[in-house]
Amino acid sequence: MTPFVAEFLIPLGKIAAVILYPMVMVVVMIWLERRVVALMQGRLGPNRVGFQGVLQPVADAVKLFFKEDIMQRRADKLLFNISPVLVMFSSLLAFCFVPLGEPIRIGTYTLTLWIAESPVGLLIVLGLSSISVFGVIFGGWASNSKYPLMGALRSVVQVLSYEIPIGLTVLTVAFVARSMDLVEIVRRQESSGVWHGFLMPVSFVVFWISAVAETNRAPFDLPEAESELVAGYHTEYSGMKFAYFYMAEYAHMVLVSSLVVILFFGGWLPPFPSVKALSFVHVVPGFIWYLIKIMFFLYLYVWIRATFPRYRFDSLIRLVWKWLIPLSLVNFLAVALLGYLR
Amino acid sequence: MNRLGRFLKSFFLVDILQGLWVTLRIYFSPKVTVQYPEQIKEPAPRFRGILRLHRDERGEPLCIACKACQRACGTNCFDIEGKKGEGAKVMRPVKFDWTLERCSFCGFCVEVCPTNAIRFSREFRLTGLDRAGLLFDLPDMYLAGEDLQKHLCAGCRRGG
Repeated sequence: MTPFVAEFLIPLGKIAAVILYPMVMVVVMIWLERRVVALMQGRLGPNRVGFQGVLQPVADAVKLFFKEDIMQRRADKLLFNISPVLVMFSSLLAFCFVPLGEPIRIGTYTLTLWIAESPVGLLIVLGLSSISVFGVIFGGWASNSKYPLMGALRSVVQVLSYEIPIGLTVLTVAFVARSMDLVEIVRRQESSGVWHGFLMPVSFVVFWISAVAETNRAPFDLPEAESELVAGYHTEYSGMKFAYFYMAEYAHMVLVSSLVVILFFGGWLPPFPSVKALSFVHVVPGFIWYLIKIMFFLYLYVWIRATFPRYRFDSLIRLVWKWLIPLSLVNFLAVALLGYLR
Repeated sequence: MNRLGRFLKSFFLVDILQGLWVTLRIYFSPKVTVQYPEQIKEPAPRFRGILRLHRDERGEPLCIACKACQRACGTNCFDIEGKKGEGAKVMRPVKFDWTLERCSFCGFCVEVCPTNAIRFSREFRLTGLDRAGLLFDLPDMYLAGEDLQKHLCAGCRRGG
């Protein structure tokens, strides 16, 4: 393999893939969400554009492209324009660290299915996903309007509160895997033979609840509560800027689902690797297993949204400060103690 | 015990799982949505669709141009003129204009008709593209089905 291919073309292809892959998932998610929510509400949902409505997101995107781009006269122009990009960029950048599958060997060259592997990958991904809250704050503040500001304020309180249980539960995983490297965490689950989700179910449940809250999804979608705040922090946005917020929300969901799969459900590892009767699981490539797993969690997102009504703000804060944080602290101490005794 | 039970119930997310089970059941339940242009739901027998004139079993028009419907009409939909032909026993309408756009489907004309000539049909597709399609004269009042649709849509093909 020539150095030109190995050092220029392949990285370029990877970069394209890391941008395209979340975008494709976003398109799939928009369709999936509308159909699944509709079916759970006893409706059919969009089924006209393309086969069973699969082209509906494309139609929506074309519509948004042709919408007028409205700028508030008294808005802070720089921050107003930056914030959708900031939200999108932080989710996309985090995908560089998400391992999608086993490295592929082509002759002497090893093609890794991630762009960067860092010993503190977990911290970087969590940090980048927290940057998106800045986009929300800036967007809400720069709009110079009441409802976006209220939505942004709620978002800050919510995301900052729910970061704490996320941090504490992620710490248990890092503790058990003895690494903060996302690839290494998956490898540990392969060598120990048990996925962290089954080893530490409390960590998984607390992480999942907090992750739903951090992505501002129902039932924790207070920053964009339609019945109270019009559309929350992106009320004043229109056209493609609005689409950026919209797509970033789904990209963030894909990111969080990937994180759950990697931390708790063995990333690209096939299920039941030691059962002889199910040896076909090794034939299916790891990337497909990874996709199946994250599709399950994305489906769970939609399922939860279709089921539960929105939390009131005080019960939202009570849930995290009086339940999740004490629970995750006790859980962390228990994991640490059990790890020490073993 | 009761407090402990409640605590355990919320700790193990029992209510949450019950809720998810409810939505999953509805997810797989059959949907009642009618996919309109492909499937058409037949309206009820008493449905008040477009007004039609009817003939008796020998093909003779039932209308005797008594103008009872015209007098009963609250919105002046009708413009009727009748004439007694040579040697005929009863009057027959020679002009029977009815404007769909003014009709409120109140049913007074149907109630008042002595010969039961004017009745509601069950045709609910009453859309046209211009006013000409909404004006019905005497022959138009006997149209039904696809012919009726063509008449309503008279303006659609005029341009092209």
